[in-house]
Amino acid sequence: MHNLGFALEGAWKVLAAGLILGAGLPALFALGIRTLAWGDGGSAEATAGAAPHALGKVLGWVLFAIVLLGVVLGITFIVASGLGKALSFEHVFPTIVDK
Amino acid sequence: MILALVVVTALGFDFTNGFHDTANAMATSIATKALRPKVAVALSGILNLVGAFLSVEVALTVSNAVVKIQSSNGAPKPELLADGGSALLLIVLAGLVGGIVWNLLTWLLGLPSSSSHALFGGLIGATIAGLGWTGVNWNGDGSKLDGVVGKVILPALLSPVIAGVVAAAGTWLIYRITVGVAKRFTDNGFRWGQIGSASLVSLAHGTNDAQKTMGVITLALIAAGDWTDTKSIPFWVKAACALAIAAGTYLGGWRIIRTLGKGLVEISPPQGMAAESASAAVILASSHLGFALSTTHVATGSILGSGVGKPGAQVRWRVAGRMVAAWLITLPAAAVVGAVMWWIGHLLGDGLGGSIAVFVILLAFATYMFLRSRRTPVDHNNVNDEWEDARPAEREPAGVAS
Repeated sequence: MHNLGFALEGAWKVLAAGLILGAGLPALFALGIRTLAWGDGGSAEATAGAAPHALGKVLGWVLFAIVLLGVVLGITFIVASGLGKALSFEHVFPTIVDK
Repeated sequence: MILALVVVTALGFDFTNGFHDTANAMATSIATKALRPKVAVALSGILNLVGAFLSVEVALTVSNAVVKIQSSNGAPKPELLADGGSALLLIVLAGLVGGIVWNLLTWLLGLPSSSSHALFGGLIGATIAGLGWTGVNWNGDGSKLDGVVGKVILPALLSPVIAGVVAAAGTWLIYRITVGVAKRFTDNGFRWGQIGSASLVSLAHGTNDAQKTMGVITLALIAAGDWTDTKSIPFWVKAACALAIAAGTYLGGWRIIRTLGKGLVEISPPQGMAAESASAAVILASSHLGFALSTTHVATGSILGSGVGKPGAQVRWRVAGRMVAAWLITLPAAAVVGAVMWWIGHLLGDGLGGSIAVFVILLAFATYMFLRSRRTPVDHNNVNDEWEDARPAEREPAGVAS
C-alpha cells in the first residue's frame, strides 16, 4: 500500500497549507471587519454607543490589504503554474521561477 | 468522421463538466445573496474561460493515471493505432459517453458528483471492455502517487475531510472574532470576501478541469494521425474547450447549486466566505503539491465544515449521506456505462457504424433526461426557495393498518 503512504504524506501538507491560507486569511479578514467596526464606533460595535476610533479604520484596511495580498499570491500561483512556472518561497518573499 | 464524433462528445463532456461544477464555486454566494444568481454564473463562466486559457501546460497524459492507452510521453500505444486508430477512438468515445451520462443523471437528481470521477470511470470501463483488466493502471508502480487507487480513490476519501476541517476551523474563528459586531457590518463585509474567494475557486476550476478535455481531444487527434506533437495542444482545441466549459458554467446546473447552497446547511455570509476560502486554499495547495483531487469533493466538504464550525448551525446529514452515496458509485457506474457503450460499438464492427450508434444513444439519453428535468424545473428563479426535506409519506403503524 505504498499509495496510502504517499497520500497521507500529501494530505497533511495540504491540511497545513489549507489551515494557514484557508482559515487564517478569513480569520484576518474577520479581524479587519471587527477593527473597522471598532473604528466606526456607535451602533456598529459590540458595546453600543462606543466612541469612534480613527486608528481602527486604518488598522482595518491594513488587515484587508494583507488578505488581498494573500489572494493576489493565490492568483499569481495559478497563472504561474499555467505558464509552466512555479512560485518559490525559498527566499521568504515569493518569486516566480522556472519549473 | 469517428474523430469528429469523439471531438464533439469530448466538448459535450466539457460542457456538462462546466454546468455540473458551477455550484462548487457559486452555490454559497447565490445562497447568501452576495450575488444575484445570473450575475454569479456569468462571473464564474468568465473566470472559467480565463482559467482554461491559462492552462498552457500540456495535459496530454491526463488519462495515464488510470488507464494504459498511452505511453509515458503521451503518444498513444502503437498497438492501438492499427486501422486508423479506431480502436483507441472507440475506447475514448465510450469512456466520454459514460462520463456524460453519469453527469446528466446526477444533475437530474441534483447531486454534486465529481466530473473527473465520471470521466475516469467511463475511461476505465471502456478500457476494461476493450483491453481487459490489465489495461487499467490500478495501483501505479510504487514510485509515486499513481493509479486508480492513488490518483482517484484515496484523494476522494481524504479531500472532503481536509476541506471540511479547514472550513470548520475558519468558520469557528470568524464567529469567535466577530462576536457582537453589528450584523450590517459583518454581512456586508463577508459578502465581499465571499465573492473574492468564490472567484478564486472558479479560476482554479477552469485551469484544472478544462485541461482534462483538452488532453483527451489531443490524444484522439494524435490517434487519428491529425496531430503529431505531444508537447503542445492545437489552439483551436484549447479555445473550443475553454468556450465549452464556460458556456456550461454560465448555463448553470441550478439543481446542484440548490442542493449545495440550500440543502446541506443554511449558509450565512461568514460561513460562505469560510467555505469558499477553504475550497480555494485546498484546491490550490493540493495542485501545487501534485495531489490530484476533485473540486466537487472539496467544495462539498467545505460547506459541510462551515455548518459544523458555526455554533448552533444545523447540518442536514441525510442530504450529505445521499451525496456520499453518489460519490461512491460515480466511478463504477460511469465505468459500467463506458463498458456497455464500448461493447455496443464493438458489436457493430468497431468502425464508423459503432461510433455513430454510441453517439445516437448518447443523444437519446441526453434528450430524455432534459425532458425529464422539465417536469420539476429548477432555475435562477427558484434556486433559493426554502429547502423542504423530501420525506417519504408517513407509514401507518402495522397495528393500525386494516
